[in-house]
Amino acid sequence: MLSTTYDGQSQLSDARATGTSKPTYSLWSITRGQRVTYVLAILAMVATNFFVFGAPLIGKYAIDVAVAGDFEAAAPVLGTWAQELKANASTTDQIVAYLWLSAGFALFITCIGGLFMYWRGRLAAFASEQLVRRLREELYAKLHDLRASFYDGSDTGDLVQRSSSDVETLRVFLASDVIEIGRACLLLICVLPLLFWLDTRLAWLSLVLMPVLIIGAYLFFQRVRQIFQITDEAEGAMTATLQENLTGIRVVRAFARQEFEIEKFSEKNQNFRNLNYRLIRLMALYWSISDLFAMSQIGIVLIAGASFVVDGSLTVGTLFAFLTYESMVIWPVRQLGRVLTDSGKAVVSLGRINEVLSELIEETKTIPPGGRSKGQLSLRGLSFAYDRSAAADQTNVLSDLTVDIASGETVGVVGPPGCGKSSLVRLLLRLYPYHSGSATLDGNEISELDRHWLRQQISVVLQDPFLYSRSIRDNLLVGRANASDKQIEEACEQACILDAIQSFPEGFNAMVGERGVTLSGGQRQRLALARALIKDPSVLILDDALSAVDAKTEASILAALRKRKGRQTTLIIAHRLSSVMHADRILVLAEGAMVQLGPHEQLITQPGPYQQLCELQGIRTKLHKTELEQSGG
Amino acid sequence: MDNYDDENYNDGFDDDALAANLNLDLWKRLFGYAKAYPKDLVWLGIFAFVTALMEVAYPLITKLVVDAVANVEPGSSVNLWPYAGLYLACTVVIAISIGGFIWIGGKIRTHVSHDIRRDGFANLQRLSFAFFDYRPVGWLMARMTSDCERLSNILAWGFLDLVWGTTMMIGIAAAMLVMNPKLALVVLAILPFLGWVSAKFQRRILSSARQVRATNSRITASYNEAIMGVLTSKAFVREQANADQFGGLTETMFEASMRNLTQAAVYVPIVVTLASLATGLALALGGIDLLGGVITAGTLVAFLAYTRHFFEPVEQLGHWFAEMQMAQASAERILSLIAAQPEIQDSASVRAAIAAQLGQDGKLQQQQAADGGTAQIKKIELRNLGFAYSNGQPVLKDVNLTLQRGETLAIVGATGGGKSTLVNLICRFYEPTAGQVLIDGEDYRNRSLHWLQSNMGMVLQNAHVFSGSIAENIRYGRLDATDEEVQEAAKTAGAHDFISQFEDGYQTQAGEGGSRLSAGQKQLVSFARALLSDPQVLIMDEATSSVDTQTEQRIQQGMAAVLAGRVGVVIAHRLSTVRNATSIVVIDAGQIVEQGNHAELMAKQGRYYELYQHQSQSEASAQLASEEEVNTGSNQVGGNELPAAT
Repeated sequence: MLSTTYDGQSQLSDARATGTSKPTYSLWSITRGQRVTYVLAILAMVATNFFVFGAPLIGKYAIDVAVAGDFEAAAPVLGTWAQELKANASTTDQIVAYLWLSAGFALFITCIGGLFMYWRGRLAAFASEQLVRRLREELYAKLHDLRASFYDGSDTGDLVQRSSSDVETLRVFLASDVIEIGRACLLLICVLPLLFWLDTRLAWLSLVLMPVLIIGAYLFFQRVRQIFQITDEAEGAMTATLQENLTGIRVVRAFARQEFEIEKFSEKNQNFRNLNYRLIRLMALYWSISDLFAMSQIGIVLIAGASFVVDGSLTVGTLFAFLTYESMVIWPVRQLGRVLTDSGKAVVSLGRINEVLSELIEETKTIPPGGRSKGQLSLRGLSFAYDRSAAADQTNVLSDLTVDIASGETVGVVGPPGCGKSSLVRLLLRLYPYHSGSATLDGNEISELDRHWLRQQISVVLQDPFLYSRSIRDNLLVGRANASDKQIEEACEQACILDAIQSFPEGFNAMVGERGVTLSGGQRQRLALARALIKDPSVLILDDALSAVDAKTEASILAALRKRKGRQTTLIIAHRLSSVMHADRILVLAEGAMVQLGPHEQLITQPGPYQQLCELQGIRTKLHKTELEQSGG
Repeated sequence: MDNYDDENYNDGFDDDALAANLNLDLWKRLFGYAKAYPKDLVWLGIFAFVTALMEVAYPLITKLVVDAVANVEPGSSVNLWPYAGLYLACTVVIAISIGGFIWIGGKIRTHVSHDIRRDGFANLQRLSFAFFDYRPVGWLMARMTSDCERLSNILAWGFLDLVWGTTMMIGIAAAMLVMNPKLALVVLAILPFLGWVSAKFQRRILSSARQVRATNSRITASYNEAIMGVLTSKAFVREQANADQFGGLTETMFEASMRNLTQAAVYVPIVVTLASLATGLALALGGIDLLGGVITAGTLVAFLAYTRHFFEPVEQLGHWFAEMQMAQASAERILSLIAAQPEIQDSASVRAAIAAQLGQDGKLQQQQAADGGTAQIKKIELRNLGFAYSNGQPVLKDVNLTLQRGETLAIVGATGGGKSTLVNLICRFYEPTAGQVLIDGEDYRNRSLHWLQSNMGMVLQNAHVFSGSIAENIRYGRLDATDEEVQEAAKTAGAHDFISQFEDGYQTQAGEGGSRLSAGQKQLVSFARALLSDPQVLIMDEATSSVDTQTEQRIQQGMAAVLAGRVGVVIAHRLSTVRNATSIVVIDAGQIVEQGNHAELMAKQGRYYELYQHQSQSEASAQLASEEEVNTGSNQVGGNELPAAT
């Protein structure tokens, strides 16, 4: 009879080792799908550089021509063109024409360069935004597909951060760092041969301090990363203190602790200021020193170049071109250290994203039975533990539970907190795999049923239900998108929430949450109940779902549910006896095991936990009764 | 808080309307924060000025060098060392001044942001609750964090760039005008146009960036919702539907980002092209002058370099100009927060009384409060008390009540009937819009607010627990309490047992927002905290609603001792909790409908009786109902034996 049923996937302890998971991304593989666009963007950048670098060259030729007063040093095509244009004019007029042509041509190629610059920006934006969009959607879908147990050990804030800040870090890398690295490399690749072609000696001299700049920048940014982190943490501490104060402002006021709070905040505020200031001081030192090197590098070229001009081995124009190129190269190179550090951050972020993406997901295999189930549940020797690696039986949340629930029956479940009531719900929804025993719906093993189909059969209302920040109507239609207005109203009526909804100015269109109506705990529970009823499930489970509803309303909800009897199998998990007394049978759980099972009037006569519970609440009932009688009579 | 997002929240400050014009008055007020550091501002100005000056000087040095070598006969020698020395000197100066302005700018930036935050926080501590009613925590957080950073950025770096940019442009313009006025005017002619284009474009770019941020906030909120609601989404098989909705959002994000990035991609080429128009003109016209011998080759080289540098600040200044406009809404918001006056504060006469007391060497007699009134609270009287929201909607009407020391008042009634408002009025978190609250015969508006509130102890349903240890949380009630006193309070509150079960006992970290404690445990800790403060008035608003029945019973037993010698106010859902109160009032729709003790009210058979009846009915009648409706359910047990799965 006792058989072991696995859920078709590996368990928590060895979750990472096996199962369905996607291969993770690297900085290279994540560009898949947009590589052509990136190549085009880089080509556009090459073109940009080609044209934008062309302009100073034209200036060089023009100055040389003007200084020399003849066409010997003129740019090939432009010179001929100018001479042909003013064929009959003096050399001076020809040179003037050449100068105008040069100016026009410089403007023209800058325009062309600008056009390529635009395409470079647009293509890079397109590529990075597309990639990020894909990643965002993938993460979002993944968060829905992950196994429920994944969420036991994870922190919402951390997951949101991975999905937002880490994706943003990656986006910055994809949008600008890739291009920055490309630009720095291309500048070096394009400009270096040009410099060496112009003058080898000066070319060497113009590179002397470059390695110092690059390596120095890289080392510096590596080191300040740590200080960045400390500063971030200080900011986080300050923000946390602020938030705590604001959310607890009533307590602060109630104890008149304003001064104490101001002092507490002041400490965090100052700490953040001082650390941030220190960080900026370090940056000040860095930029100051790196500027010293960069300017010195230009100075070396200027003075050395000038001395070459003096000995006649270099023209003034070439010196001018050298100076222009040098300042074009040196600034991006100076940024390279920061960019490399940013790339390091992108790798870290991608790693954090990969951790989420490589988590195991729920499988949605096996054959969907189709149609509506009858809602007949049967548990046989069912056992379950959240941490299965721990010593068996000791930590079992459910142990050896056997019970049959007929189609349409109403069963109340009571027991002290932690007795396994809520875990049972999770097993039935196949959110968690059970370890041994069997649980069947209409005779089909739950662990073999299609998850989506199974969940369509079952409606659960939780004590603290989750509502989407959408309109009330959208929240109600979550279970059945095509429900008619009549069905919606009927369900709301049964859940005693219709009046409340109609009292909102926007009625069913009122938004739930901060930007709309604020619902009380009881209203949330009732709305969740209506949502579950609209789904018209074959199994309805109320997990302490009426705890925040007042007694009168609870009574009428339970009465309405009794009228629906037969439409669905109903499990009512509750603390209050009044919620379960109606049930056909009551299941009493303690420490994961069944202690009692039977109808109310049978259990109340048996010595046991149920009777004790009745006594605890029954004394009060008796007392009420006598009081009612007294005052009534 | 979790789902708050600034970009999509309507707080009455219209970003676009406020960004329409540059509001100099607003910036003058904000600049007051930077003026607190006058020496640093002067130094920042000096460093920016020197930096700009040096940047202007560089091309001049280049010109000197080029001129010195351009027309020498081949083979002759020129001493370049003086130039090298000059260049090196300039480089050292610029390196120092760049380091200096970042250093000083950083100081102003971090200090201004600290100061704005300090003032904001201090004011938040005095503002009345009414202010918090229409300001979500997230809104306040955004003011105190990102807005502070944004504005201090403008005040430090914007100011720096303003000095640097104008100095540099004026310097370059002057240098060019001196070298060759005609050429200079040609280059300068481009400037107004470029300035106009820059301001326009930057504005658009910042505006579309705001769209991106707004969409990004919604995406983050979606992730948050996806994670918080994952079990619900799974249970309702919403995976695909949610993903489809999210797809619409990423589509919007893609479009907004592309718009923003395309604008930026258009802007830079336009600036480059316009600048190259100036360079081209300078090249042609300067070349002609060079031919005619009007200028030297060095002048032309310097000129061409200047035209490149001249337009650099335009981009920066355009950016800051636009950023200042766009940030005006932020500035308005945070200044409104700092300038907001609390609606409830000590009146002038009370402040005078407190000052007079302090004048007497701070020697207070035991029976005297800080404002000179009696320190004891023997009786609180509510006379014709009424309260209405600012929109006129009444919450409480004509409430008359007397609370005596040693007695407990219980307030019952339906949710939304005005119970919590009544408590807020007693604590003077709000002030009545009609009638009076008298403390020992004196209107509490004539007493010190701080004195009153430090004598109140409150335990709320949503107990707030601070991060830090449990002991620290309890000690919040009385900062100088000893460990024994803390434990004593915890014992009375019924919290000692569960605290002792923790491995670290009282030193257990309560966790951020007390997340490691259950709702009931938080209530007990906050109860202990209130007891430790030994308040004259103890108010419990659904204070034990999440505590289990057994613990609650134990607390009830100790309540008589706890409330002895205090004014007690209890609000509770469970009527069993209020039965022992000296007096019970039933509040419905803002009015007292019934008043008396338990027995009296039961005999009256009015609303209290009705409420009581319902609560007992749900238990008693359930019994009857189950007797009638017991059906064949039990017959089915075991009726459907199924083969065990493998």
